Amino acid sequence: MKKILTLALATALLASCATPKAAVNADLASKKAKAGDKPMTVEATDALDDYGSTTKVSDPLEKLNRATFWLNDGLYTVIFRPVSKGYEKILPKFFRNSVDNVFENAKYPVRVVNCVLQGKGQRAGLETKKFFVNTVAGFGGILRVSDKVPDIADLPAEDSGQTLAKWGIGHGPYIVLPLLGPSSAREIVGLAGDYALNPPNYGLYFHGGNANHDWMLIPPPANTLRSMPDQLEKYDAATKEAVDPYISAREAFIQQRDEAAKK
Amino acid sequence: MISRTFFILSMACLVLPGITSAATAEAQAKLQGAVNQVLAVANSSGSKAAIATSVRPLLQRNISFETMTRRAVGPGWNTFNAAQKSKATQLFTTLVIRTYSNKFTPGQTPQIQYRTATEPAAGRVDVPTTVVYKGSRYTVTYRMEQPGWLITDVVIEGVSMIANYRSQLDATYKKGGADAVIKSLEQSVSKQS
Repeated sequence: MKKILTLALATALLASCATPKAAVNADLASKKAKAGDKPMTVEATDALDDYGSTTKVSDPLEKLNRATFWLNDGLYTVIFRPVSKGYEKILPKFFRNSVDNVFENAKYPVRVVNCVLQGKGQRAGLETKKFFVNTVAGFGGILRVSDKVPDIADLPAEDSGQTLAKWGIGHGPYIVLPLLGPSSAREIVGLAGDYALNPPNYGLYFHGGNANHDWMLIPPPANTLRSMPDQLEKYDAATKEAVDPYISAREAFIQQRDEAAKK
Repeated sequence: MISRTFFILSMACLVLPGITSAATAEAQAKLQGAVNQVLAVANSSGSKAAIATSVRPLLQRNISFETMTRRAVGPGWNTFNAAQKSKATQLFTTLVIRTYSNKFTPGQTPQIQYRTATEPAAGRVDVPTTVVYKGSRYTVTYRMEQPGWLITDVVIEGVSMIANYRSQLDATYKKGGADAVIKSLEQSVSKQS
């Protein structure tokens, strides 16, 4: 029953993901500008200005989204920042990096499955090589040895949202999630896919209320905790010097996701 | 006549790729010089807050703040009068310098790897770099333009600083015109330093 509900929700979300016309036009305009044979668009302020129309996502829920955005902002200040600072204080930078490396290395199934789903066979091979290099030579992923190997040092990370983008599914409406922040209909489905594929969460499927396996409940919140400083840094980078933090966070998210999908 | 045209065309074919690579090389050399100077100054600054002041003259020599402001404001720019343009540029300059210098911590030197630069249009070169800073890897692309190969945009992890500000300032302009844009820039500049 739960599965059917999840599937129905995912289908409904994806159905709402038809790319908005304005975004398509903006995309076309920017492609045209890049080709260099442009007549200047109405939005251009000079011959080399190819920024075009600015908003690349539809935001019909803006009022609700803005409310959630400010609620999140408050929660970050009151709860997340102190927790994140505490974590940074307790664990020195070297160990925090090691924890990050282990969790990122363990995310291998997320990356490799999405490489395959996007038909990137060679990239899937390189991801596998990276996983083995870091797991074996990097002591279970503690050290990111792959940084020293040229062909696997800079592999762009693949995820489920990028696969959906590659399949031609647009963002759909922009949605600010409570606690998690900026997202879109498509990216929420992607997020669910990533969550299901990520090994630290596997314990949740097999736990089944068995007290002997209670330790399995530790990795998911540990994963959340270790990624907190990084997430807050990203949030600050998008909002700190902004004129309108809400729009800035929205555009940064959409630009970053669109760029990731291209790689 | 035909052979003359052919000669000119074949010479152009020989010369044009040369011009392209000369442009990218020139822009990249200018960028590398600027980045090295900024890093040296940022590193010798006593505190994070001092960096913004100490790198300001250097950034003003290497960044076209006029172009950045115009494009960040977007289509509304043409309705700004001279005084409003100058005020907006002055405020936006401070905001950009702060945004940029906030990313540095004295004593922490980033490792920068310059990748192959491209020339998407005549007079514009994009220089992609990979930056390793405090254990994390970032993709940072500098957009540089003639005259003088000045920096006109910085794209960090796919997020263009100018496109991002444009979406905010264009929305502000549509609500309240030039005055609203200047007021919102003033508020951002005075918010925290």
